[in-house]
Amino acid sequence: MATQDTYNYTVVRQFSVMTIIWGIVGMLVGVVIAAQMAWPVLNFDVPWLTFGRLRPLHTNAVIFAFGGSALFATSYYIVQRTCHTRLFAPGLAAFTFWGWQLVIVLAAISLPLGFSTAKEYAELEWPIDILITLVWVSYAVVFFGTIIKRKVKHIYVANWFLGAFIIVVAVLHLGNSAALPVSLTKSYSVYSGAQDAMVQWWYGHNAVGFFLTAGFLGMMYYFIPKQAERPVYSYRLSVVHFWALIFTYIWAGPHHLHYTALPDWTQSVGMVFSLILLAPSWGGMINGIMTLSGAWQKLRSDPILRFLIVSVSFYGMSTFEGPMMSIKTVNALSHYTDWTIGHVHSGALGWVALVSMGSMYYLIPRLFNREIYSVKLIEVHFWVATIGIILYITSMWVSGIMQGLMWRAVNPDGTLTYSFVESVQAMHPFYIVRFLGGAFFLLGMLIMAYNVWKTIKGATPAEAAIPAPAH
Amino acid sequence: MVLEHVWGLITHPKEEWKDIREQRCSVTRCYCSHVLFLAAIPAVAGFIGTSQVGWSVAADLPVKLEVDSALRIAIAFYFAMLVTVFAIGKMIHWMGQTYGAEQTLPQCIALAAYTATPLFLVGVLMIYPIPWLDFLAGIIALSYTVYLLYLGLPIMMEVDQDKGFLFSSAVLAVGLVMFVGLMATSVILWSTGMGPAFLR
Repeated sequence: MATQDTYNYTVVRQFSVMTIIWGIVGMLVGVVIAAQMAWPVLNFDVPWLTFGRLRPLHTNAVIFAFGGSALFATSYYIVQRTCHTRLFAPGLAAFTFWGWQLVIVLAAISLPLGFSTAKEYAELEWPIDILITLVWVSYAVVFFGTIIKRKVKHIYVANWFLGAFIIVVAVLHLGNSAALPVSLTKSYSVYSGAQDAMVQWWYGHNAVGFFLTAGFLGMMYYFIPKQAERPVYSYRLSVVHFWALIFTYIWAGPHHLHYTALPDWTQSVGMVFSLILLAPSWGGMINGIMTLSGAWQKLRSDPILRFLIVSVSFYGMSTFEGPMMSIKTVNALSHYTDWTIGHVHSGALGWVALVSMGSMYYLIPRLFNREIYSVKLIEVHFWVATIGIILYITSMWVSGIMQGLMWRAVNPDGTLTYSFVESVQAMHPFYIVRFLGGAFFLLGMLIMAYNVWKTIKGATPAEAAIPAPAH
Repeated sequence: MVLEHVWGLITHPKEEWKDIREQRCSVTRCYCSHVLFLAAIPAVAGFIGTSQVGWSVAADLPVKLEVDSALRIAIAFYFAMLVTVFAIGKMIHWMGQTYGAEQTLPQCIALAAYTATPLFLVGVLMIYPIPWLDFLAGIIALSYTVYLLYLGLPIMMEVDQDKGFLFSSAVLAVGLVMFVGLMATSVILWSTGMGPAFLR
């Protein structure tokens, strides 16, 4: 039976375009602060241009504006397509788009002005937090409403990952942002001392685990099989992957607080769960790579597949590195060094950004009913981005290990071998390389923006009829 | 013949890979004619560089390692390289089934061993350690290593180019994971008394 209904692509299109715009903004701020690390004079003694204010702007812009928009776009697309139904509550869906953009704009104003809760990745003050809550609850209503009115019995595994991401992020946000306001722009966390730190990193690590992992795994489980034109390698493994991942991730937060005032046993629990986490992570990686392996004959001619396979490879590498760094003995050296920054970026650039870019290259031509303007430029983007990632993570590995060794080096008489500023001086060449790596990655994003602009300019929005499900 | 393929892998890598494939040498021979010598370059250069020459990280007197400490680290480093080459070869052999390659284990180990040639060679720079220069040279050597891998894998494994691309990417991911594993192992060893002892 042919139906007259169409999918709601409007909100998907809006979020897709904003993904690219916010990607450029967030990465540009990143390149600016990377340059400031190498050449501190670049803050020009202007308060709102200083590293301390721009750094949270960078993290918020890339995680919540770029990553968030990519997640909204892909989840709204995936949930409609796999449920064979139009998005539930279109008015609410439109509210999530405009509301989320407002959150981002408010962040971009308030953070440089210096308003901050001082909680990493949750710096926004309470009025913005309330707006986030409203948007997020609407998001959940739209997403789960669509699942409820689905036309197929089965709920595809990508939706499980996306659903978990939406629920857990809601819990994390409410739990960690609980605060007592003293004015419109200032509040104090309801937790104090070590509890505050623990709640913060319960939030912080699961922002990585659910915002930056579960959601993007949803993307992986939809777009990799789609682009490879092959079923998931093992559907059973994907379900095991789901339950193991969501159960394990939630306990790993304490590894951010090794050798602090946090009780020692809590640190050990965090370390053990971080090590266990390797298993579900690699289960997912193997599932992604094996799905792609069946499409090997397409790989060389299809740059989108290359984005996806390299992203899954980086997912595998960084989910191995993470557990290694959570081992207390390793953490004693690596903590507070650039090794951590390199690790985060091998996940953020290598996994999250590449899988988002691959998904956007898949989505945008379908949303605008046009062929992509230039396949060649996708390939150029791929190589420029890969070079950028390699420069970034190798320079941070070297500088991180050097920092760790220099900080702990002691002379026979017990005095420190190096002063802190000597270690800063030793980092200079690697900070230049890191800046270059970031600049390459941003250049790739600009190439993508040009390619997408040429694709969608003058295009008429696509209308896709909902096919009757094959029972 | 000892070290017969090194020059060829730099000047005409494609033909050299074919030669290596036809040679079908055993693991022992591959190690005795190639790996044992080449892996000694970074180990010996590193030992001399860290214990005799020293390096300066901040603009002042050079830092050195105590001879004992440098020797222990150089020996551990040497054996770590030998084991890593074997382990990557073993992984290539294991993954080969997925990509339809039916090569013997020695061929896979040869692929790993000869691919690593540029990295072994660039180790000579550690004899006069300048951190940023060594890093840049390392990046260049790494790029050439990756090139050798993508070029050599389809030849050595006798799979077509398309499968080779995917297979090579998987090997690269394994290499990265091994590298991170080595970093973590070193840090653990350092913390248990095997740490470098500085002199200045």
